[in-house]
Amino acid sequence: MSGDRVGIIGIGQSAFRSRRDDASYPDLVREAVVLAMHDAKMELDAIQAIVYSLSPDAMVGIGNAERLGVDAVGGRSKPFLRINTGGATGISSVAAAYYHVASGMFDVVLTAGADKVGECGDSQTVLNKIWDPSYERPLPLGTINMLAMSGVRYMQRYGMTEEDMALVTVKNRRHASLNPNAHLRKVVTIDDVMTSRYISWPIKLLDCCPQSSGGAALVLASERYIRDNNLDAVWITGVGHAAETYWMGDRMGTNPTAEHADAYALGRSFEKSYRMAGITDPAKQVHVAELYAPFSNTEYHSIDAARLVARPGDSIPRLRDGEFELGGRIPVNPSGGTLCTNAIAVTAMARVAEVALQVWGRAGDHQAKGVRLGIASGNGGDHQIFGTMVIEA
Amino acid sequence: MELLGRQETWNITYDHALGETASWFYTRIRDEAAIYGRRCAKTNHVLVPPRAFSDETLLPTTDWVKVGPGGRIEAFTMVYEQFNNLPDPPYAFGYVLLDGADTALGGYFKGIDLTDPHQAAKKLAIGTRVMTKFAAVRKGEMLDFWFELEG
Amino acid sequence: MGFRVQPGVIGCSIRPAIVTGQKSLEEIIYETSQLALADAGLTIEDIDGIVVASNDQFDGRAISVMMASGSVGGVDRDIMSTPSASEHAFVLGALRVASGQFRTQLVVSWSPTEVSSLSEAQRLGADPYFHRALPLDELSSHALQAAALEHAVPTARQAAEAIVAKNRAHGRIAFPTPILSTGAGPLRWPVMPEMTSTPVTGCVAMVLAAPDFIAERGARDVAWIQGMGWATETGFLGDRDLAQAPALAAAAKQAYDLAGITDPATAFDLAEITDATPYSELLAYDGLSLCARHDWAARTGDGSFARDGRLPVNLSGGVLTWNPVFCTGMIRIAEIVNQVRGKAGAHQHANARRGLAHAGSGFAMQYQAAIVLGREARS
Repeated sequence: MSGDRVGIIGIGQSAFRSRRDDASYPDLVREAVVLAMHDAKMELDAIQAIVYSLSPDAMVGIGNAERLGVDAVGGRSKPFLRINTGGATGISSVAAAYYHVASGMFDVVLTAGADKVGECGDSQTVLNKIWDPSYERPLPLGTINMLAMSGVRYMQRYGMTEEDMALVTVKNRRHASLNPNAHLRKVVTIDDVMTSRYISWPIKLLDCCPQSSGGAALVLASERYIRDNNLDAVWITGVGHAAETYWMGDRMGTNPTAEHADAYALGRSFEKSYRMAGITDPAKQVHVAELYAPFSNTEYHSIDAARLVARPGDSIPRLRDGEFELGGRIPVNPSGGTLCTNAIAVTAMARVAEVALQVWGRAGDHQAKGVRLGIASGNGGDHQIFGTMVIEA
Repeated sequence: MELLGRQETWNITYDHALGETASWFYTRIRDEAAIYGRRCAKTNHVLVPPRAFSDETLLPTTDWVKVGPGGRIEAFTMVYEQFNNLPDPPYAFGYVLLDGADTALGGYFKGIDLTDPHQAAKKLAIGTRVMTKFAAVRKGEMLDFWFELEG
Repeated sequence: MGFRVQPGVIGCSIRPAIVTGQKSLEEIIYETSQLALADAGLTIEDIDGIVVASNDQFDGRAISVMMASGSVGGVDRDIMSTPSASEHAFVLGALRVASGQFRTQLVVSWSPTEVSSLSEAQRLGADPYFHRALPLDELSSHALQAAALEHAVPTARQAAEAIVAKNRAHGRIAFPTPILSTGAGPLRWPVMPEMTSTPVTGCVAMVLAAPDFIAERGARDVAWIQGMGWATETGFLGDRDLAQAPALAAAAKQAYDLAGITDPATAFDLAEITDATPYSELLAYDGLSLCARHDWAARTGDGSFARDGRLPVNLSGGVLTWNPVFCTGMIRIAEIVNQVRGKAGAHQHANARRGLAHAGSGFAMQYQAAIVLGREARS
């Protein structure tokens, strides 16, 4: 692959907040694009193609809202398409931009997007409509109770407790307090989490991600272009996607292929990324991870699926031991992660952006020490579609 | 400066075709108060709710199998937060593996005191036996039935 | 710059005449995907990755790819979706094969008619900041474009009427038993009811593969992607000159450069153009450099684009014959694929060695794409 690699040369992220009444939806996209182009020290004219990152239209309340973002990404008369894989959209968009460059057709590709989840009357109302109209929508399904049920099964299989869930929140909030772009930056205690009100048992308010507004953008380029122009870059060395069944009830019952407690297809996706990057022992070779986990309990099965621990469930004692803290063995979500910031359309792109900053050594106050290889993931649909990446300095 | 907002509501109606498989399933619920699954001949798994094809083997399912009314809880949660267009909390729902089925079916759990979440969670623990209950008047839809603890 | 690996299309299924109310959308997508795999002589086990495209508001699903994933074989497989346009799923599938990291891709798109009003669903695509209050659906946007064209080119209306006659004549050959959209759409001046067709349900799927896979399997009916370009206009109609199609010119240049085509007017044996209205077809003649606007009336009048003409356009009858709104773009590509593979059926061209597919979609054809497909791997 030497000489044919694809690099990240520019990164832009908003400071994510609950609401951004000062900016329209395309204004937020523009904000991230300007930051990324500035970071890449490049003008928009240099961009040859664009991948637009946008999850459900209904969340921003505009049908095919990517059409409104064309000028925000400088897309006029340029190759432009949009990706939507639900919560995985952001990482799927980076993957699609990667394929644009890897195809040989383009040297410099921009991927960007934004979300204003805070403007959506109730995201759970929208998200109920992701399920089958007759079989599942009559149930009060939303993404919170979907993952609460994953948590219930995880508790039963591996012995996770509500305190274990709280530990994840405490860790990630501490990390977020060091990240100026994070949305929820207040440090909390286990007691704060345990006494917060139940939303959907066993998930309590402080086990939940916020609804965030903001944008993100990345500039990708071919290795040849990066060399010819003497640019600084970090490299995408592994890319993978995998899906599992749409039907949550099929992840239970008799020997399901994809167990709902776990993140089966996330593991399959990581297998692909690791194989491509030549990683055979992730627990030893991975230095830092940004794993998409919108609720505290889901960080455990994400760590398991990434094989940062020996076997499923080992994430629980390892996290208790502080192995995934900044300063620990493999910092997980040093940015504070999805648990502290969730602007759905770009949440998984922020995972890639944050890992890229880490291996680049440009993560600021939440920089992990001596990290040169990191992984990122995104989860979409009803815990169904998973994208993963390996990023190296 | 003065920042303005604009409230917009999406209001569209859909008339989704259910196809033969789901149609047959709902008419049996309506007319017989019974739940049926479809068998995948390759894996011998009985899919509930029934699908015309298995997403794992991509083969058409072959025959109807009556399942339940007893079953065991596979997943549950109790919801304590109000969400727009969803029922008033608290309520409990989850997935049940009906006897004779290989995949779990979603439904409400009724008749359980949800005041104390920890007590309720013990009553609804995974593996607990439940019974399917049907409404006296049925329309042929998922809310025609729910689950209650057995005995 | 060119493809690292040149993709070819080895399987195709176009599903017209889907009677609504009989099957669920998932079942329709499942059947169509299976037919495309069978046409390629493959099973799902041969497929490395999938790209689908649909419109959540048409489908009535908040994230439609979720519902479709099982139908297309997405379980335990790499699947993505491009809800911007049906043709974008083809483009991304081709890029993935071109990267050398996938040997095969299945691309699928669909367009149901289960929503109470497609027009209402489309109007949600108008931004809430300035345009939502206007009656702006796709047909209205096409009418605004038609009016702009009539103003810019005095003979446009005459040419548009000739295109309607041509495409309807082609449609009678392609579909001897009238299929579903014989009816006419509503009037949006200057687009007359007979210049459109009513939306119907449709689904289309194709299998793309890399040369080594094609050689290994000995696939003979291959439509090679010789050129591929796609581009977008800006979002606000008021920012555009609706009588021009700069994005299409850019997309065409990208495709022609890749295919090494210098004289597009003589380079193709046939073309399929997205004729949402005949005015869309006219503008595409110009944007694709097939016929300059001052020649529209003369060339549509002398049958240059008719079945026996110099460059037959829309032998399938086009969108005017069959209008599954969202997937009409991918269907244009699939039609050329079938022609080049000699599998187009009643409307097969006698010697389709190289064809051009044009896909346009969105308000006043915001998204534009041009795909060059040929019997030979290199043009």
